[in-house]
Amino acid sequence: MIKGLIITHGNLGKELVAVAEGILEEKVDIDCVSFDWREDGTGAVNRVEHYLAQHRDSNIVIFTDMFGGSPTNICYKFNRKNIEIITGVNLPGLLKFLTYKDKDIPFKEFVKLIKKEAIEGINIISEFLGEKKK
Amino acid sequence: MIKETIEIINKLGLHARAAAKLSHLANSFNSDIHLTYNEDRVDAKSLLGILALAASVGNKITIEANGKDEKKALGEIVALFKAKFNEES
Repeated sequence: MIKGLIITHGNLGKELVAVAEGILEEKVDIDCVSFDWREDGTGAVNRVEHYLAQHRDSNIVIFTDMFGGSPTNICYKFNRKNIEIITGVNLPGLLKFLTYKDKDIPFKEFVKLIKKEAIEGINIISEFLGEKKK
Repeated sequence: MIKETIEIINKLGLHARAAAKLSHLANSFNSDIHLTYNEDRVDAKSLLGILALAASVGNKITIEANGKDEKKALGEIVALFKAKFNEES
């Protein structure tokens, strides 16, 4: 089983999940931890540790909002065999995770698939259309 | 393998929720199902693949189904397009 956790500044993760649920028209199985940058991060770390302890027998994908940001930086110590951390969470990557996590794909391969989809979800529309602006 | 070309008639085209419904339906069949628009061919079981077509109202999509339940799959998918993905009255 693959579990998912989104760690972001503020409520970004919760909003992404709400939008994903609106698109998929169903409740989705992923949890969020909000990092309050006005605090020292101890609370967020505790919540992440609690989550990881609860799901220690699962493969876990942790999404964070930005490489180099605090939600990512607190995760380095969680870089274990059954945990992969993907930075720069976006809607395409999240949707890929939610719609493919129950398919029988090896964990490492699955994580690479999410990264690929998240990157390919970023386009410059003028390039996509192959047209120059007037 | 069977196929059918159909025009998108819902106002918003193959947007996120429509693509989610379509991929969800496609995943309920064993057959391989693909969509082709212009020269792009994508797996209909992939929500993001469908979105990558960026297909709008008025565009024509070719649906291909290949497998034991291809007839049922094609029929139900065409019906979903015709029902405007159940998002318009």
